[in-house]
Amino acid sequence: MEVTFKVYRKEPGTQTQPGRSDYKIELGKDATVLDGLLKIRDELDGTLAFRASCMRGYCGDCTIRANGKSCFACTTRVSSLTQKSPEITVDPVRNMPVIKDLVSDWDTFLWNKIDRIHPWLEPPGTAANGETIIPDSVMADIRKAMSCYYCGLCDEGCTVLPVDFGFMGPAALTKAYRFVFDPRDTATRERFKYIEESKGLWDCVHCFEASEHCPRGIAPTERIMALRDKAFELGIQNPRAARHHYSFADSIKKSGVLDEGKLAVESEGLTNIRGLVRLLPTAARALRRGKAPIPYIHHKSPGAPQIRRIIEKAEEKHR
Amino acid sequence: MPDFDVLVIGGGVAGLRAAIAARQAGASVALISKVHPLRTNSAVAAGGLNAPLGIDDSLADYVRDIVEVADGLADVQIAQTFAAEARDEIIWLDRMGVPFNRDSKGKLALRAFGANSRKRSCYVDDRTGHAILQVVYEQFQRARIPAFFDCFVTSLTAGNGTSPAVTVLALRKGELELFGARAMILATGGFTQLYAPSTASLGTTGDGHTWAYLAGARLMDMEMVQFHPTVFPGGPGLLITEAALTGGAEIVDQDGNLLIQQKVLPREKLASAVFQAAQKSGRVLLDLRRLAEGQLNATLPQTCELVQAVAAIDPSKEPIPIHPAAHRAIGGIETDINGRTSVSGLFAAGECACNGLNGAGRLAGNALTEALISGRRAGEAAALYARSEHRREPARAQLADEERRLKSLVATEKVRGDSDTTLKLHTELAQLMDRNVGLARDASSLQSALDHISRLKERYGRIRLHNASLIYNSELTSYLELGSLLNIAELVTKAAQARTESRGAHCRTDFPQRNDSQWNRHTIVSRVDGAPYVGTRSVQA
Repeated sequence: MEVTFKVYRKEPGTQTQPGRSDYKIELGKDATVLDGLLKIRDELDGTLAFRASCMRGYCGDCTIRANGKSCFACTTRVSSLTQKSPEITVDPVRNMPVIKDLVSDWDTFLWNKIDRIHPWLEPPGTAANGETIIPDSVMADIRKAMSCYYCGLCDEGCTVLPVDFGFMGPAALTKAYRFVFDPRDTATRERFKYIEESKGLWDCVHCFEASEHCPRGIAPTERIMALRDKAFELGIQNPRAARHHYSFADSIKKSGVLDEGKLAVESEGLTNIRGLVRLLPTAARALRRGKAPIPYIHHKSPGAPQIRRIIEKAEEKHR
Repeated sequence: MPDFDVLVIGGGVAGLRAAIAARQAGASVALISKVHPLRTNSAVAAGGLNAPLGIDDSLADYVRDIVEVADGLADVQIAQTFAAEARDEIIWLDRMGVPFNRDSKGKLALRAFGANSRKRSCYVDDRTGHAILQVVYEQFQRARIPAFFDCFVTSLTAGNGTSPAVTVLALRKGELELFGARAMILATGGFTQLYAPSTASLGTTGDGHTWAYLAGARLMDMEMVQFHPTVFPGGPGLLITEAALTGGAEIVDQDGNLLIQQKVLPREKLASAVFQAAQKSGRVLLDLRRLAEGQLNATLPQTCELVQAVAAIDPSKEPIPIHPAAHRAIGGIETDINGRTSVSGLFAAGECACNGLNGAGRLAGNALTEALISGRRAGEAAALYARSEHRREPARAQLADEERRLKSLVATEKVRGDSDTTLKLHTELAQLMDRNVGLARDASSLQSALDHISRLKERYGRIRLHNASLIYNSELTSYLELGSLLNIAELVTKAAQARTESRGAHCRTDFPQRNDSQWNRHTIVSRVDGAPYVGTRSVQA
């Protein structure tokens, strides 16, 4: 089949705007996007830069966007992209700084963020004579977390990173989970010092996009939630996050529906003048766009009493 | 110029383990890798890694299995040392956080794998290599070892009274640099990109073998290339772990009839059986539906996922076409048990090294154990060597020479008038090797391969590149990798030509018998007057 690859191009160290190059190539019916890129580099344009390693979908190196959708170049068939048109667009992954063409800067995007959590297990001081005895159920959970290919797609989906690139991101926090919940690690409290720093654990907005984007079903968002629970369990609290949680629970318990206005105010803290002032522009924007009704009245859900009973039951159980 | 006691080239399991060991032995260490460690070929290992941990197992049993599969060419003492250290490496991995599967008592689960006569493979589902790679890389980071990733070595000098040095193309900066060290450890992996299909990642191109050979090192048993018996041959080739077979999968024909009854065989024999079945009945399939109910997704989650992604087959619904494909180099740079090569200051570990452990055939589940043990030993030995070694300044001219060479590869005219390209030549070479120097070889196929390789070399020399930048220039790096492969193609074929018998992975249809009176020896390839010379060495009992 004849296909036109429209590929994102960026030349490092120049002021020229990134552009797009079109390459018309002939490919077999089972060809992958990577086959296409290799052929283009080989026959048409030796300057095209991209990454690839395992070629079989397990190393995460060739993550790109084809027709706007993130994928692995090596396992995405060209035929699946050309049903509507014989042209496909190939771009770097969103949120990721680009060095050249499709070569993204993994250091800034992923590896340096992972480094912030001190990504290694601290074993017990005295060497064991044999293996550690651990139930397989505990290991299975760690195996799942470690089935990560470091493809970066969770960070690509993250809704915080586009707003604040300094955020640690779901991939690094999932890596932290792997240590915190491994009974062999002796550095849990220390680890929390690293992940709890600003732009870390508490900055996740639990939008669940990371879990949606993970191709391996590792569910990074749920793991971030588990890390927060663990932090609370260890008595590690971020005052703002704690207020947020309490307000959230309180609101649901009382009315069955989240009171978003109250949540924003209570999360900042009623005595936190600076925090409250910071909310004003958001409130003004919401008013202007008709997203905050005036007068602001929070209506109870009709099922509020039942919801309250469910919550009380759950509280009873965990007491 | 960056300068270290020990410089490790290669970021897979063997290289990382070597760097950690050298650091712990007190050396200043750095590691260079052309890809990030978590993208290296170590991750291809799926099924498990061996240690004699079971209550019904013993060192003697383990050694016996290794020696049997090696088909008369194992250096037994090396096998004994190796077997004795396997347990400690696995306990180390377990302590450092590998999430090994456990049995009902919470102890390391062991599974039957390949020709192991006991259950002795520890495993992490069917992604053992990737899990181990992660943990060894974690500990590498914990040791705070300077690392240079996306750095492509273009040439190496060693021996002749100089300290080893490499010219390194830093892909991100697009600059060529000279790195020197008192001791250098090659952990550059295998070369099975020489064949198609194969189980190798893009960079498995025998770079280290080629540098070592050009620096005067001896290579051993290069004709021994292990073919994996159960590979989906579409695309680049997808390995399906043999653990599937011991778990209940069957090798069948089109109509579901069993083609191979005896599955507990050395890989070399199983690959050859699958090969013959394919010659006879055309299609050979692996039926994963014969695993016990619920076992498929539970024990082979990654296999299921990759088979769907690469082969577009749902293994729970239909059998998968298979064919043997090149999997791992058994031969490599000749070393002693401590990774010392025949060139002073140069060490080798992991798949690129060959210490005689595997002889003519490699036991399934030994690759990762071997990467760890050979890496650790080479790291310790290199650190010790560096301590006593006076450092000599490497010749700066090497850098200027290399810069000139790389520049000369770029075409001066803009128009492409060439019909040969790197990818076309690579494809032609890989198909040639698979056809003529693959699972079955004979004098005429080998001679015609040699003639073809020499023509390919000439055509390779005429290829001109079109990218003058050095930043992430994979047109250049893949061209250089093809240069390595062409060199290795010749070495493998010459060694295969010399060994006029069949043994282990080496099957000569014109010499179908094992010939102990003449060939109970390792082949040794070295560079004499600029050309490969094949000699032999005795097997150490």
